[in-house]
Formats: sequence, C-alpha cells, structure tokens
Amino acid sequence: MALEVLSDLSTPLIMGILLGGLYILIALGLSLVFGVMKLINVAHGDLVILGTYFAFFAMTGEILGHRLTFLGIDPIVSLVIGLPLLFAIGFAIQKYLMSRAVQISMEAPLIIAFGISLIAQNVCQRLWTPYSRGLTTSYALKSFSVGAFHIPLVYLLDFICAVIVMLILREFLRRTYLGKAINATSQDRRAAHLMGINTGRVYAFAFAIAMATAAIAGVFLGLTFPFTPTSGVSFLIIAFGVIIIGGLGSMLGTFVGGMILGLAQTLGGHVLNELGLPGAATGQYLFLYVMVLVVLGLRPQGIFGR
Amino acid sequence: MGNIAHRLRGALIPLAAVIIVLAVLPMAAVPRSWLLYLFLFFVYLAMANMWNLLCGYSGLISLCQPAFIGLAGYTLVISAWWGLPIYLGILIGAIVAAAFALLISIPVFRLRGIYFAIGTLVVPEALKYLFLLWRPIGGTIHGGGAGYVLKGATVFSTWEIYWLALGIAIASSLCIRIILRSRLGLGLASVRDNDRTAASSGINVFKLKLYSFVISAFITGIAGTIFYVYQQYIEPTSAFSVRWTMILILATVMGGMSTEGGPIIGAVIVVFLHFLLARYAGISLIIQGTLLVAIMLLIPQGLIGFIRKTQAYQSLFQLAHR
Repeated sequence: MALEVLSDLSTPLIMGILLGGLYILIALGLSLVFGVMKLINVAHGDLVILGTYFAFFAMTGEILGHRLTFLGIDPIVSLVIGLPLLFAIGFAIQKYLMSRAVQISMEAPLIIAFGISLIAQNVCQRLWTPYSRGLTTSYALKSFSVGAFHIPLVYLLDFICAVIVMLILREFLRRTYLGKAINATSQDRRAAHLMGINTGRVYAFAFAIAMATAAIAGVFLGLTFPFTPTSGVSFLIIAFGVIIIGGLGSMLGTFVGGMILGLAQTLGGHVLNELGLPGAATGQYLFLYVMVLVVLGLRPQGIFGR
Repeated sequence: MGNIAHRLRGALIPLAAVIIVLAVLPMAAVPRSWLLYLFLFFVYLAMANMWNLLCGYSGLISLCQPAFIGLAGYTLVISAWWGLPIYLGILIGAIVAAAFALLISIPVFRLRGIYFAIGTLVVPEALKYLFLLWRPIGGTIHGGGAGYVLKGATVFSTWEIYWLALGIAIASSLCIRIILRSRLGLGLASVRDNDRTAASSGINVFKLKLYSFVISAFITGIAGTIFYVYQQYIEPTSAFSVRWTMILILATVMGGMSTEGGPIIGAVIVVFLHFLLARYAGISLIIQGTLLVAIMLLIPQGLIGFIRKTQAYQSLFQLAHR
C-alpha cells in the first residue's frame, strides 16, 4: 500500500523538480537585478512574455493579423535574434529610465517598472491578439518514459537549460572583468566607483544580462505552458516567490526555491486530483501563491537568507 | 476635537458650492454619459485617496487594493443572494475588506519597502484563483469563471448610485483631511520621513501603519461595492485585476503623491483619459504606461507639485500670505 502511494507520487515529484527548473530560469534575471541594484523589476514577467511572443513570431510569422510565411524558425534557434534584442531593451531601460528613477525616490523605480509592464502587455496584445497561444513545436508534445513514468521532453529541457544558464552566469560573475565589476558594485557601489568602475555602465549591463536570461526563460516558458499577453503577472509572482523562498541574492537559494515551488505546484495539483476536486489546473496555482505568502509570513528573509 | 475642527477649515465655501452643484447635477437635464464619467471619477477618487494615504503618507506601497475591491464586491453579491438589503451588503463588504486587511497584515507587515509591494501583489492573484475555484452561490454562473449577477440592484436608480459615489468621494476626502490633522497623521508623517527616529520618539510604528492599512481597506471596499452596484455583475478576473492598481497609481502619481489635492486632479485626468482613449482602446495601455513613466521622470511631484513650483503660484502664494 505504502509503495503504491509512493509510486503514485513519483511522477508529480519528478515533474515538480523539472518544472522548478523553468521557475529558476524565470527568476534568475529578477534575482540578478535585485542583487545588484536592490530593485524589484515588476516588469520582469511581462518582459519574459515579450520574449515568448518574439519566439512565437519567429516560429509562426504571425504579426498584426498577417502571416509572414518565410519565417518558421525554431523557438530555441530564434534566441539568436531574441536574446540580443531583449539585451538591448534591458540596457536601454536601465540607462534611460531606471538610472534616473533611483535618484527621484524609493517608489519611483517601482512605478516606472509598472508603467513598462503595462506598455509591454499592450504591445503583445496589439501585435499578437489577446488569445491564448503556445509554442507548439514538434518536440513540445513529445514525452519519453524512464521505467514506469512518462516525462514530457520540454520539462527535461527546462531543467537542463536552467542548470546550464545558472552555471554560465556563475562562472561569468566569477571570472570575467564585467562579472567581477557587477559583484563589486552590488557589494558597495561607492567603493566600486572609487576603484574606477563605471557603475552606471555596470548597472546597465546587469539589467541587460537579466533581460537576456528573460529571453531564454521566455522561450522555454512558451514551450511548456500556453500564454497570453497578461500571463506576465503570474510568472512575476512565481519568480518573486522563488527568490524570496530561497533568500534574496543567493544562487543556491534560488535553485532550492525553484524546486520547492515546482513541487508545491505539482504535488498540490496531484492532491486535488486524488481528492477528486474540480479545477486542479487552477488550484495548483493557488497552492503556489499561498506557499509564497506563508513563507513571507514565517520567514521573510527566506530559507537561506541571513 | 475642537482643535481638529479648527484645523479643518479653509476654502470651505467654494468647496461646499462645488459639492452642491455636483449633488443637484443628476436632476438637471445633463446627458447620462456625463453622470457615468462623474460616477467613475467619484469611485476612483475615493480609491486613489486611500492609496495616497498608504503610499504617500504611510510609506506602504500597497499593490493589493484590488483584493479589497474584489472581496467587498463579492461579499456584497453573496449577501444580496442571501436576501440582505444592498446597503447592508455594502457595509458588510467593507467590514470584510477591513477584516481581510487585518488578516494579511500578519504576513505582509513583516516586509518593508519594495518587499511589501511584491508581497501585497501576491494577494489579489491568490484571491483571483480562489474565486475562480470557489462557487459561493448555487445560482446561475455566467462566463467561464465564477461570475455572478448582483441580485436586487435593479431597484437602484442612476441617481441613487451617483449620490452613493459622491458620498464616498466626499467621505474619503474628509477622512484624509481628518487623519492628516490628527495625531495619527502627525505620527504617519514622522514614520514616513524616518521610521527609526519616529520609533525611538515613542511612536508605535506598527500600530499606525496598521490603522492606515485597515482604514484604507474599509473605504476602498465601500468604493468597490458601489462600483459593483453600478455594474451589477462581478467576475474574478476583472475584480482582482491589476488594472485597479494601475488606475490608482496613475491618478495619484499624475496628480501628485503626498498631496491632498493630488488624487482629485489625478482622478479627473484618469476619467478624462478614459473618455479620450475610448476610441484608441487598442493602445490605451501603451499611452497610459508612457504617461506614467514620463510624469514620474519629468515631474515626480505630479501636477500639483509642478504648479506649486511655477513662478506664478509662488508669487500668488506670497501675495495671499502678506
């Protein structure tokens, strides 16, 4: 009996861990911007969705109701253009908007990010209609079986990609000049400035790199879930949950936070299914959000925070 | 109390004149669309006033106002289905919103500044999913989610709803005026400027912030229920929508945060934008977002702050105080 329950749980467990990979991927950019600039970019979710829509455009060629048939680029390949594009957008946002906003008041960057999020939502809606879309590639629906359980291929891709991006980001922050400069600036801006680091530029690059990870996250999000122009808010909250559970600014924490939220979602959905309750698909998100609120209430500095 | 009454004076006569004109307006033969825009102005003004109290005066960047609006609205609809009168439903809705504010203050008040903002952002999203799942009433369900019609609201005339909204707009402005001139307001101002100094001078920071949070939930709840009396229909996705937050931020920031007149001017602009952008519905968010960013960068003190800084105002001010 116990074994039966266990094997029953193994599929949601594995799915949860793999799904956690996607959430980590989305949270990395938010975490980087927060760690360096002490700024929560509330437009992060919508910019991730912008990345998703760009991949959608590259794949289907659909824009403003027209269909450009010569396109048909695989979403992952489309990152060759999508990644630099979001990198540039991120650089511009920090350089022209955020750098001024931080000098005005504490809430100014938040309100400006809010404005950017509205603009991004409306742009997606205008260019690609408010309907729910998905990046349905040939491999998006495939699954493979290991022993007794079937795992969707994209979930595995999410996880592998998250690990790769995390490792690259870590090595980049440790080994390159720019990475070290970002680290130094996040620790003490004035000291870094006195050591001859152009901190304004470092901020702009940090934001741009965060947006580049958002582009990657956007593509994998689109492969995993259907999306609409307003999906950004839910994913912003999930990403925020990931970094708050793990403790802000800690890479290991982000990893664990992603796992916990992924598991909370799949296990929550599983329990609802087992109990025979309707609406398991909606209910699992409720589990996620309540989880975030509970962690905030019990331990606002996160599990790994000091 | 007499002291407060004394502090409340100032520009009373022109204000009273404006209020009387607004109150008798439905009886004059004005177009119905005007009344609608004025109604929206009153509701937004009440909500923006409360957001200004939180963000402008208490240093709480609250993004969970839709939670209060939606919860109060749903409470009203549910109590109407139970056969309770609408007015009682409005009151119960506001009480539920205030009680909910008390409840969520336990987790979110442990957060500060920007963390508080995101912590509160989670709340309406969670409620949205809850109300998509939960079917509180067995009646007919409209739309994909758990949308309900407000029973018994058809007896209300346009006038009555208009006056209700006017009432809450005046009450909320008066409430802000009283709060700012009471001990609570002075305490809040000191907390906003420097909470450590305030705390060490014997001010109970937590209590003050909690008071303003609960008051704001209560009045935002009333304004929300009045909106749903007008709309006669509630549905989770729009009730707990980020759009509410956007309207409140837009109104307060454009008019001028931390000023009493800010939300009034801001709400006028927001309603005017509604009217103006109705033809460009497809890109209205782009325009509003751009305005928000531009105003925050160019005139962070809002229109009121901008006017106060101009030469003409300064010289007028000096003349008046000579």
